[in-house]
Amino acid sequence: MIRRHNQNRTIVLLVAPAFVFVLVFFILPLLFLLSQSVLPEDGGFTLTGYADFFESRVSRIVYQRTLKLGLIVTGICVLMSYPAAFVLARMPARRRSFLMLLVILPLMTNAVARTFAWLIILGQRGMINQTLLALELVERPVRFMYTETAIVLGLTQLFLPLMVLPLVSAMENIPDDVLEAARSLGANRLTTFLRIIVPLSSDGLVLGATLVFTGSVTAFVTPAILGGSRLLLMSTLLRQEAVILFDLHAASVVAVVMILTTLAVNLLLRVLRVQQV
Amino acid sequence: MVSRWMYVSLVILYSFLLGPFVIIFMASFGANANLAFPPQGFTLDWFANVFETSQFVDSFWISLQLGLSSTIVSLVMGMPVAYALVRFQFSGSGMVETVFSAPILVPGLVMGFAMLNFFVLLGDMHVMTTLFIGHTAILFPYSVRVISASLRNLDPYVEDAAVSLGANRLRGFLLVVLPNMQAGIAAAFVLGFITSFNNVPVSLFLSGPGVTTLPVSMLSYLEYYFDPTIAALSTLLVIFTVVLVQTAERLLGVSQFV
Repeated sequence: MIRRHNQNRTIVLLVAPAFVFVLVFFILPLLFLLSQSVLPEDGGFTLTGYADFFESRVSRIVYQRTLKLGLIVTGICVLMSYPAAFVLARMPARRRSFLMLLVILPLMTNAVARTFAWLIILGQRGMINQTLLALELVERPVRFMYTETAIVLGLTQLFLPLMVLPLVSAMENIPDDVLEAARSLGANRLTTFLRIIVPLSSDGLVLGATLVFTGSVTAFVTPAILGGSRLLLMSTLLRQEAVILFDLHAASVVAVVMILTTLAVNLLLRVLRVQQV
Repeated sequence: MVSRWMYVSLVILYSFLLGPFVIIFMASFGANANLAFPPQGFTLDWFANVFETSQFVDSFWISLQLGLSSTIVSLVMGMPVAYALVRFQFSGSGMVETVFSAPILVPGLVMGFAMLNFFVLLGDMHVMTTLFIGHTAILFPYSVRVISASLRNLDPYVEDAAVSLGANRLRGFLLVVLPNMQAGIAAAFVLGFITSFNNVPVSLFLSGPGVTTLPVSMLSYLEYYFDPTIAALSTLLVIFTVVLVQTAERLLGVSQFV
């Protein structure tokens, strides 16, 4: 009994410092943010901030655009990663670990550097425009910057590794025997892919999709550089409300909607994952 | 099962992932100032410009200090949590894990904004302190996860042996467990440092006059100038990262934990 008591005390001592840190420095500011969104400085409890957000055409368009681009980016990442991840998972370990390092490396470089490349590719005198002009396919440079396409390209490049990594680690666990059994029982490639590989890697797919989608709908750097103030997403709207318009009440509503969106997606996909098991 | 078109998909994936780096690299040596493609001539002026721009030099030192301090503190505080989660079974462990993964679930930009409102505007805290707190909080999930992984690799009997031979738990931890976790700690350190060093969302709202992190100052430079200085700086940062990761890998074999 004494041992038991001692153990509990040890656990509390081990966990307490960091726990208090997160509680005070992380949870508390978020609760304050929540209160700010329902308690404007000049009055009592009200939900008008949220009503304004969903009634205003501008913010509704921004919210819908953010979700739409998030879905598109996630879709592209799935399509680009699935076959590639399968090849990677079936490779000899040495070659695979080198190639995986090349997937991780972009993740370790900051988003400003990675987004900057798109200015050179998509700009007025960028790579694509110079090529189109040289081939005389267009007479004047096409505007790619500040378009949804630019943001989608930038976000896809940014978050692709977050889809590849979980998919590869899920597919590594599919034994070769299973694939051979499927084939010897007469399944063609497509059937094997849809009925064996996809179900067995669904955990990685769900995890990757969660990471890519929540990353895309909350990313700031890419929409700031490639969309600017002409094409706002939720993150750039939050910044505009807070820094340029200095409307902290409206900004806190945008912020809370962003948190609720990411939490909802996380919850939804967690439920999906549980159901599959 | 692996067919030819699947290899094509691999080529597409890698050109998409790495192509931008090739372009940045080329642009950082090009002589034209307007980002036109392809770059003409060869110059090192943009690299010189990086070191002559005081906003980059100052913010580099701030990012370095911030990255080191927040990584160290998140490790020192996160390690006991990982130890408790791996070595003991207790009723609140699920809750503890949820609380420590919370910083991943909340968008960084939102968190920076919440901290600006609460600590800086309401509490009148210094922005550097707030930056340090924000960065430490976002590193907890990584520290706890990586250290837990490395603790799980370690046979608990080794520690029990030390205790049964007369060391107390703390001594056993310091003299037996800690030295065996070197690689895991180094991995958590490198990962944490890079995460902090590259972070924009949390730092964005917390950057004030005189206190700006490197990525945020790169972003604000882009609002005024459209020249290859950012490409040169990005090239330097890629080299810095590769050297850092390679050194950690050579010395301690950290890749098994990432």
